Amino acid sequence: MIEQVDSLVSPSSQDARPVLHVQDYSLTYTTRAGPFEALKSVDLSVMRGRTMGLVGESGSGKTSLAWAILRYLPANAREGQGQLLLSGDDLRAKSPGEITDIRGRRIGIVFQDPSTSLNPTLTLGRQLSEVLVRHRRLSLKQAQNEGEALLARTGISRPAEMMTRFPHQASGGEKQRVVIATAFACNPECIIFDEPTTALDVITARQIQDLFVKLQDDTGVAALYISHDLALVSRIAHDVAVIHRGKIVEKGPSRQIFSAPRDDYTRMLLGAVPNPNIRLVNSVLSRQSPTILRLEQTTIRYGEKNLIDRLFGREQKEVVGAKDISFGVRQGEILGIVGESGSGKSTIARAISGLNDFSGTVALRDRAFHARQQIDRPYRRNVQIIFQNPDGSLNPRQRVRDILARPLKLYGLVPASGVDAKVEELLAQVLLPADFARRYPHQLSGGEKQRVAIARAFASEPQVVLCDEITSSLDVSVQASVARLLVDLQTRTGTTCLFITHDINLVRQLAHRIAVMYRGECVDLFDTSDHAAPERHAYTRMLLEAVPTAAGS
Amino acid sequence: MREILRHPTGLVGSFLLALVLLAALFGSWLAPYDPQLFHPQARLQGPSAAFWLGTDQFGRDILSRILHGARSTVSFGVGATLLGVAAGAVIGITAGVVGKWVDSLIMRLVDGLLAVPDLLFTLLIVTVIGGGSGHAMLAVAVAFTPGMARISRSAVLSVRTREFVQAATARGESRLYIMAAEVLPNSVGPLIVEATIRVSFAIMLGATLGFLGLGAQPPSTEWGLMISEARQFMFRNPWCVAAPGVAIAMAAMGFNLFGDALRDLIDPRGQR
Repeated sequence: MIEQVDSLVSPSSQDARPVLHVQDYSLTYTTRAGPFEALKSVDLSVMRGRTMGLVGESGSGKTSLAWAILRYLPANAREGQGQLLLSGDDLRAKSPGEITDIRGRRIGIVFQDPSTSLNPTLTLGRQLSEVLVRHRRLSLKQAQNEGEALLARTGISRPAEMMTRFPHQASGGEKQRVVIATAFACNPECIIFDEPTTALDVITARQIQDLFVKLQDDTGVAALYISHDLALVSRIAHDVAVIHRGKIVEKGPSRQIFSAPRDDYTRMLLGAVPNPNIRLVNSVLSRQSPTILRLEQTTIRYGEKNLIDRLFGREQKEVVGAKDISFGVRQGEILGIVGESGSGKSTIARAISGLNDFSGTVALRDRAFHARQQIDRPYRRNVQIIFQNPDGSLNPRQRVRDILARPLKLYGLVPASGVDAKVEELLAQVLLPADFARRYPHQLSGGEKQRVAIARAFASEPQVVLCDEITSSLDVSVQASVARLLVDLQTRTGTTCLFITHDINLVRQLAHRIAVMYRGECVDLFDTSDHAAPERHAYTRMLLEAVPTAAGS
Repeated sequence: MREILRHPTGLVGSFLLALVLLAALFGSWLAPYDPQLFHPQARLQGPSAAFWLGTDQFGRDILSRILHGARSTVSFGVGATLLGVAAGAVIGITAGVVGKWVDSLIMRLVDGLLAVPDLLFTLLIVTVIGGGSGHAMLAVAVAFTPGMARISRSAVLSVRTREFVQAATARGESRLYIMAAEVLPNSVGPLIVEATIRVSFAIMLGATLGFLGLGAQPPSTEWGLMISEARQFMFRNPWCVAAPGVAIAMAAMGFNLFGDALRDLIDPRGQR
């Protein structure tokens, strides 16, 4: 009550004071390996009506800061000195009971993945009205009406119906809208957005970002928008703070940071953002180069019958991963395959590499295969796959040397005495020092691991390499160097590459041609330079429009 | 190892385990008397300077008997577990690797066996094949097999879907290589942990069988048998029941806590 009177008396003084003020705040985690400084004297303030973008790579401490502000820290966290103020109130001095009252009412949060932040056993309406009943003391009836109004504001077309649904009955975008409605429900002073669109596909993500900008404008809430995506932040934030290893290295108005970055790290980050106007590949593919890999009417179905269904002769529902895919890849080409998650782009790669059953034809030069069982070792040697996550694709119990030596031995490429020299050569090829051969994968960073995975794929001197989202588990700065490395290797060896990704800016940088997948079908295939041509498929155009490119590029 | 000692449960577990193993290895030398030596003048006595833990109904020194019995008790537990793990692992890994109907068949059988409690199962087996410590060990091993089969199968399955296994498949590796070089080394961790914990159950089962007269036979110094023999004199000298009881508890706890700590350390979620 007092606050409200206060704000009526002197609205200007309220406005001059930051809503969220973090001052000289430090946070350390005690781990088995010793103390880990997650945040080092962080200063940050968000004014009313402003959006502060907090940009950093994984492990930079950006999410730790969000948890610290919400006063939800793990048991091994040790806080240093420093203040966390919400409209002048010291959050660190609050009792747990007071904090519970503040969370949701005065400070809201939207998490990355709406499918895990919503309770799957409660209806969406129940989860939304719970906040209203708890914090705004509405009756259930009022909460129902208010909830519908809130959902309508987030652009949900039939809010009353949405209130009765369970999370699994709504799409990812709808769920995130509900989460956002919940965050805005009590007109909080500040809302923290922790990568709210990272788990969504590009087109939905774009809609959610537009919704965010609109709601933020309407309500004037102070927003802390955490993201690793510089291009995205440049579009929606007024101010930007760049965080690196727990330290804020640079902050200022968005435009200034993007047009004239002062800190080296910021400059490096900006340089690493894929810019579709700068080509990484300079080679032009001649129309005459022969087709090396060909798919004809390739269809991949998932789901096998289980014993009981087979006994009773029951019909089992099949899921089609990709259907009637036909395209050819020319020698020395980089073919980009883009599409949202579940569009079947990885399914194709898995079929080509002989991991999934398929019907139709997969042909390498003049050798055609009509089923997975026909695929033989010479084919496998010539078609290699690199997976998304190097943590998963490298055996944690093998040293780098053994990982790289395996294909050499398997295909008998070099005599036993030459293996070590060849491993060294392979490491040098991916710009890693020779002594890495003795290390285990967990002793390497994410980017280094992915380099090892690339080296392994190129070890057998294959004709085709399938790259399945190989940069998407890496940080922006590492992404760029891995992509560049791949392109260099590809140019030098003349290997054909299928580059599967959801990052449209990146694929425009390095692919000769782009295939667009949508719901298991290949809807478009075009030369990268023709991306703006009028004959592009409607979905391709939506995809290209949805992706923000960095300001200043 | 240093990590385990830093873990509070691990520290207690290691300490108990060290005591028990010490007794198992050097018990016969450390014992002050011959475990079968009668002292007719000093029957059913409480602790004294001559007999630290008192004497039983024949005047045998309880401490010497416990120290002597450690070896047979521990080797029973470890032996039964090893047999059970080996059999279970072979069955579970086969199911996990071959998959399809073989997997369904094996696992449904295993599920059925798992429904029978361990103790009841061992008793059934011993009733069929007869008592004695060798048979009891076999019975415990058989009772452990279904559980270990299930655990090894799940360990294999969780590794089998990992990308490095797919990478090996895509390379054209043989099934045998994938099993031996890619899957197995990554699935032994949970097996070792489970086995360590199970040794404690095996010791308790062995003691129970001894107590029921179905395991080791007199004059063996097996701890469960000691309790069984001394039961009727419990009220005249509680020490002759309490001392072997505490010994069993220490051995079981030692293995159990050590295994728990091992699991915490191996589980990557425990890090940070």
